[in-house]
Amino acid sequence: MNSLRSLKEQFVREGILIAFNGAFTHNIIEEIGNAAKRHMEHRQLTRNIITDVFAVYIEQTQNVRNYMLRQGLGGGVYDSAIVIISSNAEQYFVASGNPVRQADKAELQERLDFLNRQDKDALKQLYKQQLRKPKDDSALGAGLGLIDMARRSCGPLSYSFEELDDSFVFFTLNVTIAEA
Amino acid sequence: MLCIPATISSPEVSFDQDTSCLALKGESYPENSFEFFAPLFSWLESDLPRLKKLRLEINIPYMNSSSTKCILDIFDLLAEHAGQGNEVTICWYYEEGNDRALELANEFSEDLPLPFETIPFRNEEG
Repeated sequence: MNSLRSLKEQFVREGILIAFNGAFTHNIIEEIGNAAKRHMEHRQLTRNIITDVFAVYIEQTQNVRNYMLRQGLGGGVYDSAIVIISSNAEQYFVASGNPVRQADKAELQERLDFLNRQDKDALKQLYKQQLRKPKDDSALGAGLGLIDMARRSCGPLSYSFEELDDSFVFFTLNVTIAEA
Repeated sequence: MLCIPATISSPEVSFDQDTSCLALKGESYPENSFEFFAPLFSWLESDLPRLKKLRLEINIPYMNSSSTKCILDIFDLLAEHAGQGNEVTICWYYEEGNDRALELANEFSEDLPLPFETIPFRNEEG
C-alpha cells in the first residue's frame, strides 16, 4: 500500500474536506452530504455558502447515480464514481468524476458549453422553462441539475473528459462556490 | 388520511382535516422525488375536489431540483382548484437568514396566481 501519509498530505495541500470513491447509493449520498454540512457549520460559514455547496453536491451525486441507474451500470466496473468537496481561503469546490458512455459525450459537452455562455438571468429563465416542461417518463430527474449548479456556481462549470476505453470516457465536473 | 413521516431526505407530509391545512415540513432530496410525491398527488386527485378551502404550509429549508419540479406541479393543481372558485392560500415558512429558501419562494410566487405569503421564523434550537 502506498503511504497513507502522502495521501493525507495531498488532502491537506488541496484543502480536501471530504472525498468518497465507490458506488453512490442514496444512503451514502445522504450520510456524506450531512457530514459535510456539519463540518461547514462547524467552520462557521455563512448559511448561503453551506446551502449552495450542499445543493451542488446533491445535484452532482444524484445526477451521477441516476445516470448509472438509467444506463444499467450497477454492479460493474463502471458504477464507481468519485466526489470531492474542497476549499481554499475564499472558495469551495464540489467535484465529481464518473464514467460516461462515449455516445453521450458530445451532447453533454454541448449542454455544458451552452450553459457556460449564459448569464445568471438567462439561467434563471432556462430553469423556469425546464421546470415547465412535462417530465420525461424514462428520466429519474427533471433535467434541472446542471442548470441549478450553473446558477449557484461562481464562474463557468469546469469540466473535462478523459478516454477510458472504446465505450467510456471519464467525466469530471468541478463547480466553484463563493460568497456572492 | 394523509400522513407521511419525515426522513433525513424527505419532508413530513400531513393533512389536518379540522383546519383544512396541508403541511410539508423538512428537507427534500429523496432518492426519487417523483416516487416520493406520488402519494401526495394521488391524495390531491381524490380529495382536493371536495375541499372548498385549503391552506398549504411549506417549511422546506432545502429542496433539490426534482423536488422543485414536483412542488411546482402541486402549485399548478392548486391554482386550477382556486380557479374553480375555491379558496387556496400558500404559506411559505423559512428560517431567518435562509436567503436561498426565500429566493426560491419568490421565484415560485412570481408566476403563481395564488395568495402566497412568506413567513420568517427564528430558529428556536440554535
